[in-house]
Amino acid sequence: MFRLLSLFIAFLLAVTCFDIASGLEHWPFGSYPMYSLLYGKHFTLLCLYGVNSTGEFRLRGDQSFPPFDEPRLTDALARMPRSELPAALLNLLRIHNRTGGVPIRTLRLYSASWTLKPGAQGDEPPDQKTLLLEVSSFER
Amino acid sequence: MNVKSIVRAWDRYWFAPGSAESLALVRIACYTLCFFIYLNLDIRPWAGVSHVFWMPVSLFRLLFGPPQKAAFLGLLQILWKVSLLTSAIGLASRASLLTAGILGFFVLGLPNCYGKILHLDGIVVLILLILAISRCNEAYTVDRLFWKPAPPPTRPSGDFTWPIKIAQSLFLLVFFAAGFSKLRQSGFAWMDPENMRAILTSNLFSHAPPTRWAVSLAKSDAFCSFAAYATVVVELSALPAIFLRALRVPGLIALAVLQAAISLLMGIHFFPYLVGYALFVPWHKLYPKHHA
Repeated sequence: MFRLLSLFIAFLLAVTCFDIASGLEHWPFGSYPMYSLLYGKHFTLLCLYGVNSTGEFRLRGDQSFPPFDEPRLTDALARMPRSELPAALLNLLRIHNRTGGVPIRTLRLYSASWTLKPGAQGDEPPDQKTLLLEVSSFER
Repeated sequence: MNVKSIVRAWDRYWFAPGSAESLALVRIACYTLCFFIYLNLDIRPWAGVSHVFWMPVSLFRLLFGPPQKAAFLGLLQILWKVSLLTSAIGLASRASLLTAGILGFFVLGLPNCYGKILHLDGIVVLILLILAISRCNEAYTVDRLFWKPAPPPTRPSGDFTWPIKIAQSLFLLVFFAAGFSKLRQSGFAWMDPENMRAILTSNLFSHAPPTRWAVSLAKSDAFCSFAAYATVVVELSALPAIFLRALRVPGLIALAVLQAAISLLMGIHFFPYLVGYALFVPWHKLYPKHHA
């Protein structure tokens, strides 16, 4: 019996060590690479902005697009083929308007970048904002 | 050192005799914590997310597509939460443990199939799967109390040691992996105070930390330098802590402090890791009846 259990233990350790050494991910194992890259003076992020009669405002994943949280949503949009982005944004627009937040007519996806300065609060507008895509609620 | 002595050392490490009661207390602690940590988890909204977000990982690749029935997901998560509770108290214990392990894989893994793996729940799934196949239901169960004839006292066995040891090792390897990733990807430059400052500051634009401490602390060179070195050293120290008992308690305290600091400064909360920390608590010493 212990020989079988030893094999099981060896398997768990082998997959864990392989992922650590290779940097690959075999969930629920993993290499835990969060925040392991070098950060520069500029920070770029995909950001979603909603538009209604009052103007344009930034929407965060956690509050505006449940069940997504901000890191998951921005990573998903970054990894997605560009051809699928319109369908993704329309789905997000519907999710947002269903969750009971301030209703929006249009959803815009920007690539936003900030120059990182000590003392930044995190709510400053981006230094540069490039519109990547826009969808409106009447689009299908 | 010949093969025989390696095998003996392996057996001594993983299969030293342990008591059924110690493992059972770990079971009660881990499943109770899991139940309360995930009580409010709701995976039903994933059914309303477009298939274009579906980027399956691991065994989820075997599915034909994203689950689209919210009621089905709701049923699975209720079953899972009930199985966590029944595993903790040991009611229909073998079925409960297996259900908690298998459904835990699905319920906690599903969100990772929508764009990003968040490294919060993987270790919990591994712990649930390890306990599911272990003999952690040989003491302190409702099953034994009411339905089964009183069994003879279980003799100490390696069967009650290996699940705790491997779960502890995998938990500590999680932290080592995080420290090793930083050095593998960025080298010693990761510990440059400018990099730590950029991490703390950039995070304010993408997360909502519960305090604004990062704003003022990021201005301090001394803090950024200390935080960067301390993070890597504390994370890497998890590997020797697997083998060196003397390192384990200070190492775990340092890791818990590190995670609390990340939670306060960066808004990344590690509540599921409480299940991992629970593996190291000497529950049998805290439970007088068993001690007696």
